[in-house]
Amino acid sequence: MVRFLKVFMREILNAVLLIIGVTTLLYLIFNIMPGSFIGKGQGFVGYIDIIRRLFTFKFGISPVSGRDIGNLVFPAFRNTLILTIGSIIVSLLISVPIGIFSSYRRFKSYSWTLSIFSYIISSIPVFFLGYLVIYLISRYTAVLPIYYLYEAQRGKPILSYVLPIIVLGIGNDSISEIVRLVGGELERVMSEDYVVASKARGERVLQSSIHEGIIIPIISIIFSKIPFLIGGAVIVEHVFNWPGAGRLAFQATLDRDLPVLVVIAFLSVLFVRAAALIKSMILYYYQTSER
Amino acid sequence: MKRFYYEKEMAQKEAFYVPLYKRASAVDVISIGYGLFVVTYLICFYVIAITNTFIKDPMQVDIKNMFLTPSFEHLFGTDFLGRDIFSRIVKATEAFFLPGVIAITVSTAFGLGFGIVSGFYPRYFSRGIFYFLDIIDSFPRVILILIVIILFNPSIYVIMAFVGITSIPKTASYIKTKVELLKEQRFIEACRALGLSKRHIIFKHVIWLYSKSVLIIQATLRMGESVLIETSLSYLGIGVQEPVPSWGNMVAMGKDFFFQGKIWLSTIPAVMILMTIMGLYLLGDGLNSLYNEKVSR
Repeated sequence: MVRFLKVFMREILNAVLLIIGVTTLLYLIFNIMPGSFIGKGQGFVGYIDIIRRLFTFKFGISPVSGRDIGNLVFPAFRNTLILTIGSIIVSLLISVPIGIFSSYRRFKSYSWTLSIFSYIISSIPVFFLGYLVIYLISRYTAVLPIYYLYEAQRGKPILSYVLPIIVLGIGNDSISEIVRLVGGELERVMSEDYVVASKARGERVLQSSIHEGIIIPIISIIFSKIPFLIGGAVIVEHVFNWPGAGRLAFQATLDRDLPVLVVIAFLSVLFVRAAALIKSMILYYYQTSER
Repeated sequence: MKRFYYEKEMAQKEAFYVPLYKRASAVDVISIGYGLFVVTYLICFYVIAITNTFIKDPMQVDIKNMFLTPSFEHLFGTDFLGRDIFSRIVKATEAFFLPGVIAITVSTAFGLGFGIVSGFYPRYFSRGIFYFLDIIDSFPRVILILIVIILFNPSIYVIMAFVGITSIPKTASYIKTKVELLKEQRFIEACRALGLSKRHIIFKHVIWLYSKSVLIIQATLRMGESVLIETSLSYLGIGVQEPVPSWGNMVAMGKDFFFQGKIWLSTIPAVMILMTIMGLYLLGDGLNSLYNEKVSR
């Protein structure tokens, strides 16, 4: 437990150092760019001011739209969080069975077909996939809403989450990577001598091999995919008109609204660092419990 | 047919060598073949696009002939201004080919430098270099690109140079693990004992003989990512702007006619994107399984 706390504190220190580095980088960028921003040209005092604003979550008012940035950003981030986590689950549901099948039954005809299928669906451009899905759903069926339902008109809010989550889950180009990783790791574990011997004795080896081989790589790949998912969310939110952080960032780019974009960047860095922290703690837990 | 980790095998038997054609399985051959086909047509398209031969003028507006379906005259049909879609698709390789090469160059050069320095001298440089690389890594890539777009209002070349910068950490960490693995090997020790200079060891033995495959694989994967990012930005309207063709803005323009049943306007560029990205990913993964991961014998 003490060692666990020690590792935890070290990771937190690391994360805090990185976040301070990120804010320094952002502040340097402001001082390069033309235009005005809070704390610009005041040197270290301005930097302290920016740090205080960012870490107390009182971001001030957007100079373009005149609205409070905090009220703008936090609901958007909640929506993006839902989208990201849901799409990770969808990707895993698609890719892990394909990976397990295509390595466990390696010489069947369908395993090659399945892995090619995973390559195809993971390299469909996500903007085209979104429009295709909207076209098919809205033209031939009317079961799912194709846009985000706001509070007033929200009948069944869960339903409006379904399509963007599925589209981002398919189109975030991590499916083929996970399939290849799972297949390779499972193949490696199942060609070990003791597994072959156990198989020859007539025992079932698949489940224990899965447990031994693929849990740690999957955890590490999921958490390392989170920044890419936030990036992919920009396009999906644009297509589905989903009021998330990605669409807000894109809108801020079009309006040249730098403070909003900087706050979004800061919050997503916090998000990414938190994910990295959780990942390293889970991996540490697994490694110690195996010994 | 038993499979091994190539690295483990190398560590156990140093003089172990299997020729490439014996390592390849049928899956590897198919995926590398398809990838090479994709690379070939990309290069052909780029050469045609910069020399402006063999194709119709991609900017030529022809209102009489708009929305023609694919035929022998117009191979992929015409779009909403009567422009020939095939020649626009060929011309659009200009939008990502050179920028993608720039991104690859930036990420490879800096990643190689940082990786080798932090692998060879872990005591002095590794911490500091990887602190800065982690800072780059913790930004979501698209958000960083949007910040760059607000600040400098750049062309696609500058954007792609920044894409290259965002993929430095991955290349650097691959090279670093490779160097750390190689550093303990006996042949490097033998080189040192023979009195070869450090520069010779690094450039000839570590980079040229043993990291070449990693760099080629990373380069193909980076090219696929560059195509994806360029098309996405052009789709959003902040990359290559409209009269200049790009696969992304062709999809964006064609999607307005999607609901009228004129689906080839956006489907053909989207299928081109799919084929290209899939080919580059398959090439990278096939080369990876050929060179690095396993040996089948």
